[in-house]
Amino acid sequence: MASILLIEDDPLVRRGLQLALRGHGHDVRTADTGEDGLREVRSSAPDLVVLDLMLPGIDGVEVCRRVRAAGAVPVIILTARGDDFDVVGGLEAGADDYVVKPVQPTVLDARIRAVLRRATDAPDGVRVHRDLRIDLAALTVTAHGEPVSLTPTELRLLLTLSGAPGRVFTRQQLLEEVWEHDYLGDSRLVDNCVQRLRAKIEDDPGAPEYVQTVRGFGYRFGPL
Amino acid sequence: MKRICAVLAVPAVLLLAGCGIQPSGVTGGGQAPAGVAPGVTLYFIDAHSRLQPQFRQTGRLGSISEALALLLTGPGYSGLRTGIAPTTVTRVGVATTPGVTEIHVPFTANEMTSLGIDQIVCTALGVHVQSGGSRSMKVRIIFTQSTPESNKLRTCPLIR
Amino acid sequence: MTWRPWPRGLRARLVVAVVLVTVLGATAAAWASARSARSALVDSARQRLAQTVAGQIGAIAPELTYPPDQGTLDRLRAAVGPNTLVTYRNLRSADDTGTEPVTGALRSAVRARHLIATQVVTAGGRPFLLVGTPIVITAPDGARTSSGIEVYTGRDLTDVEGRVDDLTRSAAYTAALALPLAVLLALLAARSVLRPVRELRDTARRLAAGDLGARSPPQGADELADLAVTVNEMAESLQRMQADARRFAADVSHELRTPLSTLMAVVDVLATAAAGMDSDARESSQLAIAETHRLVALVEDLMEVSRFDAGTARLRLEDVDVAGAVRGCLRARGWLDRVELVAPDGVVLRLDPRRLDVIVANLVGNALSHGEPPVRVQVSVSRDQVRIEVADSGPGLPQDVLPHVFDRFYKADTARPRTPGSGLGLAIALENARLHGGDLTAGNIAGGGARFTLRLPRNQEDG
Repeated sequence: MASILLIEDDPLVRRGLQLALRGHGHDVRTADTGEDGLREVRSSAPDLVVLDLMLPGIDGVEVCRRVRAAGAVPVIILTARGDDFDVVGGLEAGADDYVVKPVQPTVLDARIRAVLRRATDAPDGVRVHRDLRIDLAALTVTAHGEPVSLTPTELRLLLTLSGAPGRVFTRQQLLEEVWEHDYLGDSRLVDNCVQRLRAKIEDDPGAPEYVQTVRGFGYRFGPL
Repeated sequence: MKRICAVLAVPAVLLLAGCGIQPSGVTGGGQAPAGVAPGVTLYFIDAHSRLQPQFRQTGRLGSISEALALLLTGPGYSGLRTGIAPTTVTRVGVATTPGVTEIHVPFTANEMTSLGIDQIVCTALGVHVQSGGSRSMKVRIIFTQSTPESNKLRTCPLIR
Repeated sequence: MTWRPWPRGLRARLVVAVVLVTVLGATAAAWASARSARSALVDSARQRLAQTVAGQIGAIAPELTYPPDQGTLDRLRAAVGPNTLVTYRNLRSADDTGTEPVTGALRSAVRARHLIATQVVTAGGRPFLLVGTPIVITAPDGARTSSGIEVYTGRDLTDVEGRVDDLTRSAAYTAALALPLAVLLALLAARSVLRPVRELRDTARRLAAGDLGARSPPQGADELADLAVTVNEMAESLQRMQADARRFAADVSHELRTPLSTLMAVVDVLATAAAGMDSDARESSQLAIAETHRLVALVEDLMEVSRFDAGTARLRLEDVDVAGAVRGCLRARGWLDRVELVAPDGVVLRLDPRRLDVIVANLVGNALSHGEPPVRVQVSVSRDQVRIEVADSGPGLPQDVLPHVFDRFYKADTARPRTPGSGLGLAIALENARLHGGDLTAGNIAGGGARFTLRLPRNQEDG
């Protein structure tokens, strides 16, 4: 269904996850180092990268940053439980979501699907907010007439927020709607994604016009 | 606290036990006094010109000057003679200092033979010893005329 | 006050010992000096009086007629002074005071040797020195013979005794003066000994309470300093052993994670394929799946415990609606219809939602698997804390189990069939509660049933 690149150094884990994801209907290619993985991203252009952060050679965080720099391919990182250092590093490097090892393939599959799912249920049409233009049919975004390359997660966040301008979304609500997480979702996912989105669509990310912070509550879409 | 008091009481009792003067046994206290005698011993000269003691029953020892006064009165009828010139003045002055007894005699040195001098020395020394005095005492005889003989410290040939 | 053979406190013992030693020493010294001073005083009085008597007799003796008559003896007695007895054969001259200043011992001493004899006696409570002497007849050549006259006289020693008493009293005062000084010194010594002892005791208590970082700085170079060094070494080796054990557990968990990742992946494949297997193979694969999940849970709990032990567990505080969080926890696990939840809305607390979830899930899971329904979760709020009580309606916790419910891997009943928990759930719940500055306690409800109470402070500082 989706073509997935799995970058994982341990051969047995790699093979096991490949088998499991294949069982969930994904086309899984694998790489055992960061260098191989980056080469594979360029050559085969996967829909999504599942990246183990503990890699020999270039480490996972760096691989994530380079994947993000190369394009809009979504990245889900595999981290050790409770290793906040890894999570924070991965999210700041642009990861869309993270799962904790040892991961249940059903959970990983759900995350993959959530990240890849585009706002298909959104009505067609075009939303224009000042210099920001969102084409709901083509799922493209332009700012000042220039096309903006958003990852599926960023796009979905933008669509969710812009669907109800002025309404305040809590982080929890955004996690459930955009990431399809349960009540224990990690709000850092939201904050990191908001920052990346602002960097792409705002004129001045330090003084955001479209994605505004409501202190103590969450975010809302502007301008009002 | 009781215990502490009890323990502290021990030295207190000990201290009190050391108080006061306790009866004691008999301890020696030195030489017994002497000086009683039924009479006095005078020294005269016998037929062989030797000093000879003569006991006089006077009932008590008496003093050195009393003994010398008796000596100056002469030997009486005893077969002994005296080396001291006869005199009516029998009063003799005696002064005692530690170690030396000075005797002032009413004679000049010429009026006495050396035996007479010995008579005086021995008689004085005898009384001194009998009174409990030391036998090592020296006697100086001071004559009425100043002479080197007065400065001699003398001893009795019979009392050593 | 009860009689005790010896004070129990170290301070009291030290003080008593030092005071005793000092006072005994001072007393002994005072007593010895008083005693020697006394004997010196008495001796000098004895010699002086004997000399005086001998001098008095010697002065008059040459004037006495010999053999003496009564008059002579009377004269001699008058010359010697009052309280005098003079004898000569059958003659005697005595005071009319009644008591004779002579004892049998003195008389025989006087007769045996021709010397003065003295003796101290007490008469009528007063000390007297008796001086007895014969009078000897000395020949011109120095030979001494007895005259038969004996003189005995008694001299009052009261004034000497007065001086002895003065000496003794001043010695006693000196010894008494040493007493407060001794107490002061003893207190100082006790303090210098007790301070390190107290520090060591505090350190040992902290070590016993599990604070292996406790140390006593050794002071000086005495035995107590040695002891402090030894205690510190012991604590260090304990700490090292504990760290080794914990690191081992952490390492083992880490190493297990990679193969478990593979297992987790492949049992998922196995699960989808199980439907097409024959029944034995299907059951086997289902067992493998269940046990793999259990193993994963166990390793995750072990790693969580390792993080608490290593002190690397961190709070990620968020403003959390407590009722919503508890409800979410129950809903996510499908427990909402099995648990009676009483929680006021709108209680917002700053806490780590994942850790609260772990605590509630552990307590409720525990109640559901070990207790009897109905299981009741009650959230209540007071001024400074939020209480979350989880109670079941079973028989409650046995008294011997209560102190151990939070112990790691503690199994109340070894014969009990294995339960799905890792055995670390309650220990982790307690650590999580403490990480929040709160507490978790276990007890029984009066009517039966176990009740766990989580208390979280309301003024939790921002982390």
